[in-house]
Amino acid sequence: MSYESPIRDQLVTGGKTYRDVTREITRPLESAPSKGWWFGFSLSTIVLIIWIYATGYSMVVGLGAWGLNKTVGWAFDITNFVFWVGIGHAGTLISAVLLLFRQKWRMSINRSAEAMTIFAVICAASFILSHMGRPWVAYWPIPLPNAFGTLWVNFNSPLVWDVFAISTYFSVSLVFWYIGLIPDIATVRDRATTAGRKFWYSFFAMGWTGSARTWHRYEVISLILAGISTPLVLSVHSIVSMDFATSLVPGWHTTIFPPYFVAGAIFSGFGMVLTLLIIAREVMNYKDYITEEHLDAMAKIILVTGTMVGMAYITEFFVAAYSGVEYEQYAFLNRAFGPYWWAYWTMMSCNLIAPQVFWFRKLRTNPTFLFIMSIIVNIGMWFERFVIIVTSLHRDFLPSSWAMYAPSIVEVSILIGSFGLFFFLFFLFIKFLPSINMAEVKSIIPTHAHADHGHSHASHAHEVIEKGAVHGN
Amino acid sequence: METSKKLILGVYDNPDKTYSVTKKLISHGFSVYDVYSPFAIHGLDRVMGIKRSRLTVAAFIFAMIGLSTAITFQVYVSYFDWQVNVGGKPSLHIPTYIPITFELSILFTAFGMVSCFFIVNKMFFGKNADIMDIRVTDDLFVVAVDVKKSKADMGSLNQLLMDGGAIEVRERIKEL
Repeated sequence: MSYESPIRDQLVTGGKTYRDVTREITRPLESAPSKGWWFGFSLSTIVLIIWIYATGYSMVVGLGAWGLNKTVGWAFDITNFVFWVGIGHAGTLISAVLLLFRQKWRMSINRSAEAMTIFAVICAASFILSHMGRPWVAYWPIPLPNAFGTLWVNFNSPLVWDVFAISTYFSVSLVFWYIGLIPDIATVRDRATTAGRKFWYSFFAMGWTGSARTWHRYEVISLILAGISTPLVLSVHSIVSMDFATSLVPGWHTTIFPPYFVAGAIFSGFGMVLTLLIIAREVMNYKDYITEEHLDAMAKIILVTGTMVGMAYITEFFVAAYSGVEYEQYAFLNRAFGPYWWAYWTMMSCNLIAPQVFWFRKLRTNPTFLFIMSIIVNIGMWFERFVIIVTSLHRDFLPSSWAMYAPSIVEVSILIGSFGLFFFLFFLFIKFLPSINMAEVKSIIPTHAHADHGHSHASHAHEVIEKGAVHGN
Repeated sequence: METSKKLILGVYDNPDKTYSVTKKLISHGFSVYDVYSPFAIHGLDRVMGIKRSRLTVAAFIFAMIGLSTAITFQVYVSYFDWQVNVGGKPSLHIPTYIPITFELSILFTAFGMVSCFFIVNKMFFGKNADIMDIRVTDDLFVVAVDVKKSKADMGSLNQLLMDGGAIEVRERIKEL
């Protein structure tokens, strides 16, 4: 029944009982929000207003409000879109891929990572809508019969694939997240003291009773959802990369793009997960649930994916040199030593060089250092997309059309504002939903914590027992 | 058709005790109606003789529906209904249909399977939960024994449940 792991440290520390888990994780939902929460929520609301204003302004005035020109037609909007989609990838990676690999450390971080996925994809979608310039015709990429005033979409276009990929990704992630939430919503329902809470949590708990039959089916569908989400998450960023890779622009026309983008997405996603969780474990006092072991594991993934991304940067250079195509060669030399050299070297140092510090365990387990590193990773990954998009476009085949691009204040406001949108949703999430998966965390805390004193279990109190690890599913 | 069921509930505070008591009850010939727990107890489904869920089959069927819908639709649109000449490329170009076919298969699988999950569990938004104990979603485990179906001496049940470490044994009529 129980399995003792001699290698891993206990995943949840502090000798919690099931009741402690319930009480501590539902506390933010049941009590008045803290000052820290109000501060964060108000700040993100203000930034959200900037986003609403800047996006609205772009819609009313038109995309002339942006710094685009005839040569650089994709810039901040698509950079931000790819940036946010990339961030979204860690959530599904944590909950799906780590579930398939039976990595139990995912259990206390998967809920907030999945929420992050959903909010990041919302941010990404908002950039696509504003990129279109006329959001009222946003239904055009949906295949509709010619009678609707537009022709059927062109299924050969990766932009159409992207519409399907992003919307599938969003809806499947939402379903996965909600399925995971049901048992915890039921927990909140059964503890509810106010009529409003009782009503809403019962409504969304869908009559959950915790029956063994339901749990059996629940485990089956969780496994299948994880199984289909894993290729889904890989396909989404591959398709995003094909928006570029299937074009003929030097610097974009690269077969390495799909795996390189997926690695970059995981890298940036974990960067953002670290940023959020380091704040959450401080503010909400979840240090027993999100331990240094969790931070260590995430830092290792950042090291691996950062190095993969760095290798892709170098491979691109090699392939350009080896191809003998002078346009391709110029595109890469221009990236590193042209007018946007600073963007390129920011990307290189943040994504390839900086994560190498994670070879040292001391640095992997230092929350303050990790927090700074997570911001650096996010900056680096934003610059990666900027480098790919802007430096490839601004000097293409025809030197007479070469141009420089600089963002307007409106574009910068939309970028900053999108963080407001993201954190606004995130703060609402941690207030109204349990931000750690209680049911899963309870399944990994040692059962001897519950043995009464008469039993021999008490003498094993120092041993680590991971329940159910030998059973698979 | 009976409208209610008489159940004897054993309340536990530990998944290991719940597991072994369930096993013992079944070997003594009692009919375990259901076990309620705050999280999934691995292996319990096998002990209780719950058959492997056929939701996997449903998932596969929905995947196939998604796959064929996507292929049929794309071929119909780009070849039969309205051919568009884009750079002289062929209108019926199967490889470029793969990404959308893949995405739609996953979309159909997820939504179809989860809908089936809700249907077989009779779950819907706003359903009133018939919970055995208010703390069963918190830290308690309940083993419910079906009195009518059990083929064993009911007198020994109480002792069996208590010996397994129950913190409480009580009777409950469940409306069906």
